[in-house]
Amino acid sequence: MDLQTRTENNAIVITISGRLDTVTAPEYEKKILELIEGGNNRFVVDFEQLDFISSAGLRVLLLMAKLLKEKNGQVRLVNVKGNVYSVFEMSGFTTLFKMENSIAAALATLI
Amino acid sequence: MIRIEHLSKKFGDLVVLKDITTEITKGEVVSIIGPSGTGKSTLLRCLNLLEQPSGGNIYIDGVDILDKKTDAASIRQKMNMVFQSFNLFSHLSVIENLILAPVKLKGMNKQDAQTKALELLRLVGLAEKANNYPDELSGGQQQRVAIARCLAMEPEIILFDEPTSALDPTMVREVLSVIRRLAKEGMTMAIVTHEMDFARDVSNRVLYMDEGIIYEEGSPEQIFDDPQKEKTRTFIQRIRCYTCRISSPDYDLYAMNAEIEAFCEKQILSKKSQHNLLLLVEELLQLYRPYLKTMALDITIAYSEKTERLELICESAGQKGNPLDSQDLSDDLGLMIIRNLTESISYQWLNGKNRLQLLIKTNLT
Repeated sequence: MDLQTRTENNAIVITISGRLDTVTAPEYEKKILELIEGGNNRFVVDFEQLDFISSAGLRVLLLMAKLLKEKNGQVRLVNVKGNVYSVFEMSGFTTLFKMENSIAAALATLI
Repeated sequence: MIRIEHLSKKFGDLVVLKDITTEITKGEVVSIIGPSGTGKSTLLRCLNLLEQPSGGNIYIDGVDILDKKTDAASIRQKMNMVFQSFNLFSHLSVIENLILAPVKLKGMNKQDAQTKALELLRLVGLAEKANNYPDELSGGQQQRVAIARCLAMEPEIILFDEPTSALDPTMVREVLSVIRRLAKEGMTMAIVTHEMDFARDVSNRVLYMDEGIIYEEGSPEQIFDDPQKEKTRTFIQRIRCYTCRISSPDYDLYAMNAEIEAFCEKQILSKKSQHNLLLLVEELLQLYRPYLKTMALDITIAYSEKTERLELICESAGQKGNPLDSQDLSDDLGLMIIRNLTESISYQWLNGKNRLQLLIKTNLT
């Protein structure tokens, strides 16, 4: 897994590539916790280059959403497709998260 | 007609036939199937005394053919054999191949033997090739001549040892149709074959051989549609397996993924199937993780080339219990994914092991 972050329109844009699974989820969780604890509460997560996600990855997304809710924050997911989208469907995640087709569209929906 | 009791055959230390007991009655067509090297051809060669059995008894019409007082030559005349590699005499014409044994061994008049030979060549559709030499014939034609030559000795039973395995696929049918015709006419036959559709179609009974024994036997419907034993099922349904043992919570997920991917590629499974398998394995491993400190987990992925069923089997020792029913799970995300990926899940406590069997959904694969 490779994780890149940048700031755009007062939000953190995270680009994640490769696999978000049992092995890589702890690393992702650590990074997210650091960002949220650092005072960031507006996130866009781009899945364009994510090939695989398992329940271990979903749990971190859930944790992220929960922590942001406590801090009146927001998260948008972008480019959730293919196998990753199938896993979202299987676990009911398509209704839990707001998803957009582009980073620009996601940024525009953040208040 | 033929009764085999506790037949065994060793080649040095190698035990090929452990303990074979069966019977072939008059008019019966028995197919002998099974993986290579399980003793099928050796069984036929023992019946024909081309190999001397190491133990047991073979009775033909009540006569013990292994008894030293028994005249083996006369027994062989009752029972003739068709080989994989035809074994025709290349320096003799087709008709000469057919009349040689009846004249030399049975003392038949040459003219009568020729008349009979031509009748038999007509039966196998090769009367016009009577004066040709074996080298001038195709493989299928040579095998049909070999069958006619076998019939020339008027055997009561014919043993076929993989009669089509040396043939081009285009020639298999012509040989099988001759054997089918003999079956319809009531000839007693024992056929070692890898042609499963043919075995199902022509036989009254099928013997599945494995581990040097008749591992399972039954009607073609029983053996081909509802095999009861695991090895028979694996063979009939052409099941290909990947197995691995995980004996620590610190297993190498990516090394295992690479092996599963290689298995999927070998079986030409779609990318979607590959993804679903990897996902299913990972979800299951997360559920099993708490138990991996104290017990090993054996994972088998089984793909049937015949039915295209893809199954995943998890076997573990330790305490009896289905890990999918565990009350200790922090959430049901993994379970939701597992249930979505599978058509059915069954749990059994079998031979002191927890066995979880998951049939992967075909509409997802």
